[in-house]
Amino acid sequence: MGLSTSGMMKFRNHLIILVTIVSGFWLDNTLNPLTSRLFIELNFGFLIFSYWIFALPEKLQSFAALVYGFVIDLFFSNVIGFNMLFFVGTSYIIHLYVFRFRIFSYFQLSIFFSGSSVFYIACKYLLLSPLNYSYILLIVSFLINAVLWIGVYLIMRAFRRRIL
Amino acid sequence: MARSTPTYTPIRNYAIGFFLSIFLLFCDINYGSFSQVRVISKAATLYIQMISIGVLENIVNTYSSFQETKNLLEENKELKDQILQIKTKDFIEKTDTAEKIKIINLYKGLVGRFESNNIHLYKIASIDLRNYFCCSTHKIFLQNPQKILIKENLQVLAGESFIGQTTTSYLNLIEVILFSDTDHVLPIKSNSFYCDARGKGKPLMISCTLNKNIDVFENEVGDPVYTSGLGGIFMKDIEVGLISGINTISIDEIEVIILLKADPLQESFYGIINQRNDEI
Repeated sequence: MGLSTSGMMKFRNHLIILVTIVSGFWLDNTLNPLTSRLFIELNFGFLIFSYWIFALPEKLQSFAALVYGFVIDLFFSNVIGFNMLFFVGTSYIIHLYVFRFRIFSYFQLSIFFSGSSVFYIACKYLLLSPLNYSYILLIVSFLINAVLWIGVYLIMRAFRRRIL
Repeated sequence: MARSTPTYTPIRNYAIGFFLSIFLLFCDINYGSFSQVRVISKAATLYIQMISIGVLENIVNTYSSFQETKNLLEENKELKDQILQIKTKDFIEKTDTAEKIKIINLYKGLVGRFESNNIHLYKIASIDLRNYFCCSTHKIFLQNPQKILIKENLQVLAGESFIGQTTTSYLNLIEVILFSDTDHVLPIKSNSFYCDARGKGKPLMISCTLNKNIDVFENEVGDPVYTSGLGGIFMKDIEVGLISGINTISIDEIEVIILLKADPLQESFYGIINQRNDEI
């Protein structure tokens, strides 16, 4: 176990979490050019980040979300602050309702996290590319990301139990 | 793992993070404040991507090159094997053809020379080399797979001359005693003498003793020597060798050394004339 009992996490664990989030965004960047023709915007990166906050709320707080967001902004975003803002906001919401989420079913969880993901996508389009904003894309992406969440959740949970 | 209860997260930290993010976002969108930073990070990312792709391509190329080399080596090996097979086949065919031509030529030569069709050709089975080079017994053995009945004391030819005579045959072998065997005596003649030449126990060497003074001996080294036909076995007037030396034994006795013409080591096929001299 890499987690310390004091509630603080080792730097190595932060690095591992960051690598998984970066991998998710890299996957998005790779796949989205292909899926965008089908009105699908995958959001692995955001879902993975959400999972980590959901799984380790006491370890990952506002500063971690801010730093992760900054790194993702640096490497994957066209503006600095966008992912920081969403990561901090999502982190806050999850922290507020984390115990309620614990008793949610997979379906409810996937609805919530897929909704958050679509909200992220909508804001991204509205803020950075309003001409490409599309409701069809949001609806289809909502459904797809809801399904993706289940996979992300199971895979990341197995990964967390094995690695961290 | 037992989880600790989530600690209270003060909204102040989130609010600071929230407003900081908004501020950065606003600055970047409106004024492009972090465009330099983004450019550097993009450049770094691209650079890393390029290096990664380059390394990956190199690995793939190296692997492909190894694979290609391996394939080429395999192909090369197959081709070499094929060439070896072709060479071997070619060699066998050539040898076969050469032997056939040799046999035909030998037949022609023998038939022309002896005007007789009663000649059988035999391939050599073995030669007693150890004795041939050191000792007095000089014999060869010929293959007789058809087990043709061979009489004793038949003339044996090789190349363009006689080399010896049959002694016995057993199973599918014919034993031939060579002229150079010390037990063999060959009646020979030259333009000035007749004698019975005995083998010297040395390869291709026979000799005869003459009761003559060397001063009156008319022959010289290099003169040809022929069969005299007096033994009743070999036909006369067949050249068997050349005088290679004349030695004085006593005042009126000389030894004539004759170097035989036909070398059994150079021949593969031998002809046996199934008739004796007196029967021709």
